[in-house]
Amino acid sequence: MKSYYDRPLLKGPHWGSNVVTYLFLGGIMGGLGLISLLSDDRPEPAMKKLRKTTRYTAFALAAINPPILISHLGRPERFLNMLRIVKFKSPMSLGVWGLVLYSGAAGANALRELADDGVVPKILRHLAPNATVPIQALLGAFMAGYTGVLISATAIPLWAAGKRHIPAFSVCSGAASASALATLLSTLQGNHEVLPRLERLEMAASALEIAAIADFRKRGGLATAPLFEGRIGKRLRNYTILGGIVVPFALNAIGGAVKLPKSIDALRSIAASTLTLIGGYVLRESLIEAGKLSANDPQVAFRQPS
Amino acid sequence: MATGFFTDATLCIGCKACEVACKQWNELPSDGYEFTGNSYDNTSQLSGTTWRHVDFIERESVDESGVTASWSMLSDVCKHCTNAGCLEACPTGAIVRNEFGSVFVQPDVCNGCGYCVVSCPFGVIDLIEAVGHGDDAAKYGLATLHDDRLNERKTAVQATGGVAGKCTLCFDRQRVGMVPACAKACPTESIQFGEIEELRERAKARVETLQQRGVEAQLYGADDVGGGIGPLNAFFLLTDSPEAYNLPVEPVLPSTRQAMGYAAAAAAALTLATIGWAIFRGDA
Repeated sequence: MKSYYDRPLLKGPHWGSNVVTYLFLGGIMGGLGLISLLSDDRPEPAMKKLRKTTRYTAFALAAINPPILISHLGRPERFLNMLRIVKFKSPMSLGVWGLVLYSGAAGANALRELADDGVVPKILRHLAPNATVPIQALLGAFMAGYTGVLISATAIPLWAAGKRHIPAFSVCSGAASASALATLLSTLQGNHEVLPRLERLEMAASALEIAAIADFRKRGGLATAPLFEGRIGKRLRNYTILGGIVVPFALNAIGGAVKLPKSIDALRSIAASTLTLIGGYVLRESLIEAGKLSANDPQVAFRQPS
Repeated sequence: MATGFFTDATLCIGCKACEVACKQWNELPSDGYEFTGNSYDNTSQLSGTTWRHVDFIERESVDESGVTASWSMLSDVCKHCTNAGCLEACPTGAIVRNEFGSVFVQPDVCNGCGYCVVSCPFGVIDLIEAVGHGDDAAKYGLATLHDDRLNERKTAVQATGGVAGKCTLCFDRQRVGMVPACAKACPTESIQFGEIEELRERAKARVETLQQRGVEAQLYGADDVGGGIGPLNAFFLLTDSPEAYNLPVEPVLPSTRQAMGYAAAAAAALTLATIGWAIFRGDA
């Protein structure tokens, strides 16, 4: 096989843990948009509590994620340059606008709850029309998915080979992580009634996620080796596939089938959701780190995935 | 009028005058003094601060007369693609197409997000390392300069640090009617600069002549390279397959994958929303 002294053909990403964190939290923000919609306008007090929790959490994440995004820039003081234009061909551009709009919708929905709780004057509730709930859910789906499109619409062979799979499992992982975070917070609040539903949502999202990851491995070809083999592959298998999907799925299934004592059930929920969250983070981390390895292999870069 | 480069491997003597002229004109810092052992190539690659890079290919062939070595050298450069991955990816609009048809990074607009870096199918553009005020002058090849000049250069390097960099096709020189520094410095006209249509005709005539003489020559990028990229404004005449020069055989414009990606994400989101609706509100 010909090459130029086996030198890398491509340049790898300069992205580190701040970008990984951004992708992870972006996925959770997306999933919280869905849970906020699903728990909207329900009479049960437990659902009301869940609704409030998801909206406050989504708003908190919308506040901390932009600084994390900004911190990865070579010139952070020029972050606003991204808001000079809207560029449909650039997922990075659309993503920044998605983040801005999502933050607006999440802010409006948090404001509704604050007004209902009497923390801010009731009149401010008029700033947040009912439509902001489905809008946050729609923008949330975009937030969870665009990061997958963003990395697969690059020249990095591993990412390019996942043009269908990576966006799909990014959305699923975001929804699973959001369900896990909502489960964790609801358990800590003692809001046990919503747990069965949240855990079933998490199981559905995790099942789709693992199916998409398995299909990616099967069909992705040689380019997927950096993600599934070696040190990164081992970490992905232990923390995401087993620890982050299979074990929490089993724990949630046990919780759904067997009536456990309250304290043990709470521990089970906490363990399952924490493991899911760790798995979600490691999935994003593995994708970015394996992307760096992928860029170093000229042989897979000579003929780039269509 | 679109201008570009036609770089001919059969004329390159590997003198690296293009690399030096480029560094000097564009005030680019040095890459350090690394010895690679890869023939005479110690530059290794194009980077944010290396905008011309000479490939050195050593080949051996064995026949009745014994072992003969042959050389092929080629000065690589940004391809200034018709449909450029970096330009499409840039979220700030810092990367533009200028009046000469070249892909140009406006250094004062770029915020260093790095998305162009992974979006170049040729691995050309890269981020320039940010330079702090306390950094050692020697590291940037500035040690031999007098104090006044040193401070001036350090400021210039600091000003461009943290943003993306690549060949500008000497935008500044072209604007005043000058030939790009590399083409001007090339002693063998291996690097030819000119109007793109005329260069293409010249390249096609050249490759025909060489093939008639029995040289295995091929053009790279004079016509559409495929993958949605189109023809390249900086194209090459090669005497070996593209891989030998670290050029992709089948490059692909990354943005062509977006529609499929958004569709997959939407399908996953819709599926989960439907399942979620059944779980949360199936009884309502």
